[in-house]
Parts: sequence; structure tokens; C-alpha cells
Amino acid sequence: MTIRLSDEHRLIQSTVREFAARELLPVAADLDHNPRYPAEIVAKAAALGLLGLTTPEAHGGAGMDQIANVIVQEELARASAGFQTIVTVNNSLVCTPIFKWGTTAQKDRYLRDLARGTRLGCYCLTEPTAGSDAMSLRTSATLQNNEWILWGTKLFVTNGVEADVCIVYARTEATAGARGVSAFIVEKSFPGIAVGKIERKLGIKCSSTAEIVLEGCRVPAGNILGERGQGGKIALAALDGGRIGIAAQSLGIARACLEESRAYVLQRRQFGRSLAEFQAVQWSLADIATRLEAARLLTYRAAALVDEGRPCTREAAMAKLAASETAMFAAHKAVQLFGGYGYLQDFPVERYFRDAKITEIYEGTSEVQRMVIARELLATV
Amino acid sequence: MEIIVCFKQVVDPELPVRDFAIDPATQRQVREGRPLVLSTYDENALEVALQIKDKTGSKVTALTIAPQATVGDSVRLALAMGADEAVVVDDPRSPNLSGPVKARLLAAAIRKIGHYDLVLAGCESADWVERVVAPLLAEELRAACVTFAGRVEPAGSGLVVHRQADEGYHVLDVRLPAVLSITSDEANRPRLPKVKDIVTAKRKPVRTWPVADLGPDASAAPTAEGVEVRDVMIPQRTARCEFLTGDPDAQAAALAARLRELKLL
Repeated sequence: MTIRLSDEHRLIQSTVREFAARELLPVAADLDHNPRYPAEIVAKAAALGLLGLTTPEAHGGAGMDQIANVIVQEELARASAGFQTIVTVNNSLVCTPIFKWGTTAQKDRYLRDLARGTRLGCYCLTEPTAGSDAMSLRTSATLQNNEWILWGTKLFVTNGVEADVCIVYARTEATAGARGVSAFIVEKSFPGIAVGKIERKLGIKCSSTAEIVLEGCRVPAGNILGERGQGGKIALAALDGGRIGIAAQSLGIARACLEESRAYVLQRRQFGRSLAEFQAVQWSLADIATRLEAARLLTYRAAALVDEGRPCTREAAMAKLAASETAMFAAHKAVQLFGGYGYLQDFPVERYFRDAKITEIYEGTSEVQRMVIARELLATV
Repeated sequence: MEIIVCFKQVVDPELPVRDFAIDPATQRQVREGRPLVLSTYDENALEVALQIKDKTGSKVTALTIAPQATVGDSVRLALAMGADEAVVVDDPRSPNLSGPVKARLLAAAIRKIGHYDLVLAGCESADWVERVVAPLLAEELRAACVTFAGRVEPAGSGLVVHRQADEGYHVLDVRLPAVLSITSDEANRPRLPKVKDIVTAKRKPVRTWPVADLGPDASAAPTAEGVEVRDVMIPQRTARCEFLTGDPDAQAAALAARLRELKLL
């Protein structure tokens, strides 16, 4: 059993690699050092269909499979992890849930524009007191006069500044935990929603991360996504797919570390020889490459399960866990291999190091991934 | 307008240096195991055709003479970029055929396609750089020919063509049918295919003809064409360092003299 990419997959890979080389590589460092949302590059990515990759063509997407998504996310992240974050959230955490759970009216109203990238989406789950324990969220939604009224604060929302379609998770039932939560599609133009604090981060700086504040936000009754009480299920199902996107992001960062380190050690000379001739250096590269391959196989396996319509919760968690820890390992090694130069902004590895860290945290920390995997291992039913 | 774009595949020019090899028996670059890509200027030619299609709704056919088993990726790319159909003349000899023979085969294929208004090809291939296919093809087809076209605009029943020249560019009125060889220009940077077009490319028609279908003349074994390849080799690069002595005036004079001797000035 090997990973054999179809002809279409290979052409998508070479196309996105070329896109990344033309549009992202020349500006990736600048997007990090002088952070700004790269609107014009997002528009070009949207024109190629990268913002709605797995959304069916009938709804404005590219109609590709999850393997293609992994390929695209890895190629984008290899060039700019921050840019890729913008793209993967729109794909996995916004387009996919609306496609899976949305009514026809909701798909007509939102999905086409989101998949084509003419509107950007965001996913509002985390709160100040609900991070890993997401289902303890407190944002409330009450039905009044055919409108849902939402009160609460959402934190760490990727694309929070630029998005105008927000999937917001709020408690609608007296029940605690996941069963009490419902999902809503909230437009920024609805009364009572505002962008709060915009975060300054360690890495992925060109992607905005913001607070979303809901103060009596009025949402039409028809904008509930799925059934009442289904929000927990929707949120977690979305994260399964989102985790595959983050695993792919991690592969891209790790590959960037490997490629840059390899090139550097071949030309840097100390003690009369190139660094590449030292065994310790060789072993470092071998370790990065091996972990990267293992993480890639886990990621592709999770993606293949999605494409087969089979459950993938455990495999997606394993992929995200392995790949994110590999990205951090690779970045740590890369900075060390570059020595003093690895600490300078003139070289890309310090950015990879800062970008890699978030992959161990968002869309479920490594600790949460371990909880998910252990729960499946220990289930007796 | 019906446009035919002639293209060929070459070994990826961005190949790592260690993978570049010459087969001494055939005096050709070794292709086995190397990645093949659309020849660079042929991509520009395809882009020019597609821009005309965007403006006028023309039909674009991508045509190649190639071993059918290895040309799939480039055909797929051409269709994904927007060509309406592809024609592949399956000829296992083709990587080793010279420009004049290719031109004859392409002309025969174009006659078999039957109808065209405009034929585009890259001004030179990324491997042999002979620069003869387009003019010879025009001669075979008795069509107008402009080489090194950078920009092509439909205008009335013909075209306005910007032809690159050493001192700038010429603007030409060209009547159809015409054969143009295309060079790269800011305006013809090849587009990247959209993901959904990559998916739908496989639904577009690809006609494959064995080279024998082009008739006995075209597919006859190529006889001596007046050009014999004697040697193909990878140049050995050496570096030499020459120090010029004396005061700055003397050094400057010596440098100027040396550069003239080396025909660099």
C-alpha cells in the first residue's frame, strides 16, 4: 500500500506549488515582519478555486477530494503558514459544515460565495473560559420573535477581522455540555456583532486572530445551522476535518525546515568541511525526514478515510498530533542547524519555528488529541 | 476563429544538474526517468491562444507529436488551462526528430485536422532551441508567418501582432491563415489552471492518431536533411583568475584591451 497520487492530484500539486512560488514565497517573510492581511493573494487563490476545494462544483467549489485538500494545504504552508491558515479555516471550518449541515436556502445564500472566496468565513467556538473544554461554552442564544438573540464573547477567531460569515456556537438548551449547544450562521452585518480585540501573535501573523463580541446579536431564525442541540456534534465534526488541514499545514512547515536545512548544511563550511559531512548533522536531517514521512502517511490515511465516507476521528487526531509535533521538532532542529543565522530574521527558519508552535495548540491542543485517541482506544463498546 | 497550438514536452529545464545526461549513442538528452514538462515558450503560445479565446470565443486545439505513453501530463495541463481539445500524433521517434521533420509532421496533422485560422507555437523549444518549426510549418501550409510575436490581438478579420526586435518591437497587421511563433511577454505569462478545470480536463476530447495515419510521406523515416549532429556534450567549465598590475590608469587600459581581445567589448 503506497501513496499513489492520481494524475489530477499531481497536476493540482504542481499548480499550487507554482502559485506558491509566484505569489507567496517572494512576500512570505514580509507578510510576517510587517503583518497585514494579504487580500490580493487571497483573491488570486480564490480565483484558482482554493477557498472551496472540497465544496461540490454545484455549490461554487472545486469539487475535489480530501487528498487534494491535503496536497494544497501542504504546498501553501510550505511557502507561508500564515496564508495557509486563512485558506484552511475557510475550507474546513466554514464551507464544509455549511455544506454538510446547511439547508438549501443557507447553501444558496452563503456557500457559493464562501467557496468562490468572494466572502470569507470564520469559526467562533473558543471563549475566554472555554478552550480545550469547548463544550463548557457560555455564549447563549434565545429564541424571541422569530429571531435568535446571542450574548457572549468568542476568542481566538481566525479570519475574525476580514470574515463576514461567522459560524457561531451558542448554548440554546438548559443541558450542559455538547448537547446544549447549537450552531448559527451569523453575518457581520447583523445588529449586535462586533470585532473586539485583535491579537498580536508569536507567528502566523498575516492571518488575523480576533475576539468576536455578541451583544444582543439578532440572528434570523432561519440561520440556525443544523438542529437545535446539534451544535456540539457540528463543531466536533468540523474539527475532525480541520485537523487534517492543520496536519497538512504542519507537513508544509516541516518540509520547509527540511529543504532549507538541507540546502544550508550543504554549503556552510566549518572545520574544513561542509556541515553536511558531519554525522550529527546527517542524523538530524534523517530524523526530520523520517518523522515527516510518517506524519505524511498518517495525514493521507485520515484524508483517504474522509474520501471513503468512513469515520476518521481517531486517525485525524493521530495525524494532527504527529504532524504538529514533527513541525515543531523540525523547526527546532532547523534553527539549531543554521546556528547564529537561524536566530536572524534574514533567514526563514526563525519564522518556521514561530509558525510551527501554533500547530500544537489550535484546533485541539496535542493534549486534546491524545484524549481523543485514548478515548477511542479505551472504549469498550 | 479556430486556433491550433503546437506544443512539445521537454525534460524539465529545472532538473537538478546531476540528473542531466547525454546518451552518446543517440546524441540526445536522456529522458527516461526524468520529469517532462511543456516546453516553456509553448506555454506562452497556449496562453496567447487562450486570451484570444477569452475575447472572441475561438476554439483552441492543442497539438503535439509525441510518444503517446509519456505525453499525458502536458495534454492534461493544456486542457486544464483551457484548450478545448487535444490531438496527439503518437510517434515514438519524436524526441529524436529534428525541427524540419517535426514541421512536416505537424503540417500533415494540421491538414488532417482540416480547418484552422491560426497556428501558434513557441519560438524555440527549451531543449534544442532550433527556432525552425514555425517558419517551416508556415511554408508547408502556405500561411503568413511572424516570428517572436509577444502580443497578438484579434483585429477585424486579421490580427495585430507585436513582434519583438532588438531595438524594441514592430507592430504588424497579419492576415489569416497565419503561423506565429510566440516569445514570452509580460502580457502572455501562462495562467495557472483552476482546480475545477483540472478535474474537468479529463472530460475534454483527446484524439490520438498513430503517425502512420498521417500518410506515407509524412511518416516516412527521415532521410538526411543536410544537417548532421556530430557531437553533443556538457561543457566543462573552468575558472581562471588573471591579475592586472600597475596603477589604476594602467590597469584600466590593460582591462579594456583584455576585454576587447576576449571579444567581450
